[in-house]
Amino acid sequence: MIHYFKIMTKIFSNFNWKAQALGDHAIQFYVPEKMDQAMICEIKCFHDFIFSLQLKEIKDIIPSYHTLTLIYDIALMHEPIAFANDLIEKFSSGRKTEVANKEVNKIIEVPVCYDEIFGIDLISMSTKLSLSITEIIKIHTENIYQVYCLGFMPGFAYMGDVNIKIQTARHAQPRKNVSAGSVGIAGAQTGIYPMHSPGGWQIIGRTPLKIFDKDPAILSKFKMGDAVKFYPITRAEFESLNQNEL
Amino acid sequence: MDTLQDKGRYGFQHIGIPPCGYLDYLSAQLANVIVGNPKEAPIFELHFPASSFIFNEAHTICISGANFVPVLNDKSIALNTPIQVSKNDTLHFMQPLLGKTSYLSIKGNIDSSVWLNSKSDFSSQLKTNDQFKIIAWDGDNKINSDKTEKQESQQCNIDKIQKHIFNSNEIRFIPGPQWNDLTNESISNIIKQPFNTSLNSNRMGYTLKGPSLQLIEQKSYLSSAVTRGTMQLLPNGEIIVLMANHQTIGGYANIGQIILVDLPKLVQHKSELPFRFSITNVETAHSEYKQMQKCFS
Repeated sequence: MIHYFKIMTKIFSNFNWKAQALGDHAIQFYVPEKMDQAMICEIKCFHDFIFSLQLKEIKDIIPSYHTLTLIYDIALMHEPIAFANDLIEKFSSGRKTEVANKEVNKIIEVPVCYDEIFGIDLISMSTKLSLSITEIIKIHTENIYQVYCLGFMPGFAYMGDVNIKIQTARHAQPRKNVSAGSVGIAGAQTGIYPMHSPGGWQIIGRTPLKIFDKDPAILSKFKMGDAVKFYPITRAEFESLNQNEL
Repeated sequence: MDTLQDKGRYGFQHIGIPPCGYLDYLSAQLANVIVGNPKEAPIFELHFPASSFIFNEAHTICISGANFVPVLNDKSIALNTPIQVSKNDTLHFMQPLLGKTSYLSIKGNIDSSVWLNSKSDFSSQLKTNDQFKIIAWDGDNKINSDKTEKQESQQCNIDKIQKHIFNSNEIRFIPGPQWNDLTNESISNIIKQPFNTSLNSNRMGYTLKGPSLQLIEQKSYLSSAVTRGTMQLLPNGEIIVLMANHQTIGGYANIGQIILVDLPKLVQHKSELPFRFSITNVETAHSEYKQMQKCFS
């Protein structure tokens, strides 16, 4: 079952990029506007544009919700702000000829076992939210989520937005160990722990899929801008599909 | 925690992979250059109590950075000097006399697996009975061993780097995007009050002890990229300075970034000694970084 859908974008020229120095070896591009789904698309385009230039000065290009950050090599950089403004200029003039609405993304479908043995916060969330566990699962699997950015640990994708009906704040005290594949909620965000780690998100289930693979040809299952949909599977299906260490 | 490190793993922070790499890159580069390695060669990074080493064949080694009183077969050896070791020699580190992070370079390339263009350990560390082979550099990396004429200038460079890292209580930073969200009192405290590194420090970040700092209003920030040297303000009013194994994005207030040339000073700063912050700018930071790198050319 493969779905395709279109990312809605505003007319690109609405975005007014600015650049600021972030210390002595990074430049942060930011947009004063509020974050929305068109923003993800814009940041992704700017990221891909800079990446395509393969500039020797740049060591990393890191997107996030509302910024794009370049890590640069001081030895090769002369005027960072002029360099940054030049990139904004090139990007802005080049994209005028692009068709804004062309980007089509495949939806990545992620199986999740919402059994309480994995969804260790489902019972307390059900009480707090006055919803049955079945309703929480239904609501979590209804939305198509966007990957806003990756961080926290290799392959950890911040996805949103979670329906307000099941939004739950993270635990005040993080757990010492959350299992690899755990699917969690933190406010309006949802995400999957790629490996065993400490973590404070509300855990509602576990995916059998490997989210991060050290194989350089695979690495992260998700990238910024991806569309993701969760679907429920049984415990038996989980066991037969599981790729993570227990 | 002792690890193998090189210049770090760049190009993968957009999928959340920390850059890693040397904590005190100046001492690491120095130890490499002294034995005739490329400055960005892989090297052992040691913290006290440090691992001991047994050599299975003759090598040229050098120890730079923190002085943990290195002892070769019960004889104390000098830092920042090439040392000849023989088969079955043992190297121990006795006590943390000066600094916090020490580097052991061995002439040649340390044979270890490369992951994403780097040999830097990320989630692993050196373990008892680990064995490493040292392999000769290939043609491209072969270093001119005619060093004798350079010795005088090299000593001058060693002194310059040592003085820069260990003889200064001033650490410079460039204010960050949320600098103006700090209260005036907090801003003046950062510049005027002393800080100490706390024992709660590791390769991910160094937590500082100092005056409690506050934002004008408590607000949450959208997560955004951070980098080594980023000074994040934690909700409890403390600063954490991010180090080589830092997360790639962070949601705490970013109040500034320590400039790269001063980061080794913080890495090596003993927790009982106070230091002070001062503000600088990109131009100064670049010119001093480049000036210091001339020691290795």
